[in-house]
Amino acid sequence: MGKQAATNVQAGAEGTGSIRAVEALPHSPPLELVNSPKREKILEGMLEAVGAEGYDSTSVRTVLDRTGLYRQAFYDNFADKDGCYLAALEMGIVRFEALVARAAASQETWRGKLRAGLGALLDELDAEPDFGRGVIVGVHAAGPEALARRAEALKRAADFIDLARDDAEESEEPPQIAPEGIVAGIHAIVHSRLSTGATDGFRALLPEFMYFAVLPYFGADAASAEMQAARA
Amino acid sequence: MDSRGVLPYIGWAMESPQLPRAYAVRSERERLLEAMVKTAAAKGYEATTVADVVEFAGVSPEAFDEMFESKEACFLEAYDAVFDVLVAHVTAAFEAAAGEPWPEQIAAGLGALVGLLAMEADIARMAMVEVTAAGDDARERYRAMLTRFTPFLEQGRTYSGQGGELPADTARFAIGGATSMIFDEVRAGRGPELKRILPDLVFAVLMPYLGPEAAEDEMRRVTREG
Repeated sequence: MGKQAATNVQAGAEGTGSIRAVEALPHSPPLELVNSPKREKILEGMLEAVGAEGYDSTSVRTVLDRTGLYRQAFYDNFADKDGCYLAALEMGIVRFEALVARAAASQETWRGKLRAGLGALLDELDAEPDFGRGVIVGVHAAGPEALARRAEALKRAADFIDLARDDAEESEEPPQIAPEGIVAGIHAIVHSRLSTGATDGFRALLPEFMYFAVLPYFGADAASAEMQAARA
Repeated sequence: MDSRGVLPYIGWAMESPQLPRAYAVRSERERLLEAMVKTAAAKGYEATTVADVVEFAGVSPEAFDEMFESKEACFLEAYDAVFDVLVAHVTAAFEAAAGEPWPEQIAAGLGALVGLLAMEADIARMAMVEVTAAGDDARERYRAMLTRFTPFLEQGRTYSGQGGELPADTARFAIGGATSMIFDEVRAGRGPELKRILPDLVFAVLMPYLGPEAAEDEMRRVTREG
C-alpha cells in the first residue's frame, strides 16, 4: 500500500538556510477502513476499554457494555476480540496520522510542520488518554500482527522526520539511524507516561520533543533555540 | 535443546569467572526459573503453560504450585534474575572503562550488553521482547529495570558541559531509542548478530547528550575498532 507514497515525498530543496515545504505525512492508510457508525463505535469502545483496563482484562462483553450495543453488532463486524482490536488499532493509527497531517498542513517548514503535528498529537493524548493508551500501550499484548502495524506506523513517522535531512548541511547529515532513534525515543517517553498513568500535561513535552528531533539534523544551538521557541 | 541452561551460566558469570559452567546441584526453584526463560523464549510468553515449564524443569506440578502463585509470578522472578545479570554485566564493563572519557565508557557498557544478548539468545528474547507481551506487571518491571541504566547515562550531563540545559527526559529518550533497536533485531531473529548494530546504539545513546557530531565520532571509533 504505502511504500510508493512514502518515497514520493522527495521535493527539491530550496536555497541555503531555508526549510522547504513538506507535503504532509508520507501516507496514511485509507480512511474507508472505518465506515459504519456501529463499527466505529465498537472500535472506539475497544481502544478505550483496552486503554482503561488493559488488553487482557478486556473482553467482547466489556466493549459491548461501553458501547451499549448488542452481541450481534459485534459479531456482524468482527470474528473475535483479537480481530476487533487489530481493526481498532488501525483506526487509531489512522486517526493519529490524520490529526498530525491536518495540523502540519497549515505550516510551511519542516520545523513548523513537526511542531504543529506533534503538538496536535500531544493535545489528543491530553484529551483522550484512554484512547491513546489503547493504541500505544495496548498493542504489546495483541500479538505479532498488531506489532507489525505499529512498526509500520513508526517507520512512517521516521520517514516524515527524516525529511529534515534535505535541509541539513551535507557535512552535518546524521547517520541513517537518526530518525529511527528520534521516533523510538519520543515513543518511549509517551509510552512510559501512558503506562504509569502520568497522563496530564502531554502538551508540556513538546519543547523537549522538538529539541530531540532538531538536534541530530541541525545541532545543539538550533535545538536549544527550537526548544525555547516551542516553550513560548 | 542445549542442556547448559541459562541460570547456571548466570550464576557462573556473576560469582566466579574462573569456574567453568558448573552444573552444580540446582534447586527445583532454579530449574523452574530456567525452564521459564527457555520456554518463554522458544514459544513466546503467551503460548507458554505451567505444564510446559514443569515438564522442561523435570519438576512436579505440585512443587511449582508451592513455589509460585502463577505463571506470571514465575516469569517475573525469572525476569528479575535475568535482568540482574544484564545490569551487573553492563556495570562491570562501564566501571572497567572508568579511566576513559564518558562516551567510551558508554560504548563499553553497550558493547557488553549486546555481547551478552548475542551470546544468550534466550535471555535476549525473554528480557527484551517477551516481557512486553507478559502483562502490565511485567511491562512495569521492564520499565523499572531499564531505569537502572539511567545513572550511567546521566553522567553525560556533566561530561557534555550543558547538563542543566538538556531536557528532563534525556535518559528515557536515549534508552528508548536503544532498546527499540534491540527489540527489533531480537524479534526479527537477528539476536545472535546484535553486535552489528553496536555503532547505531552508541549513536542513539550519545546523541541526545552530546549532539550529532560527537556521537558520530564515537560511532566511527566503535566501527573502526570492531
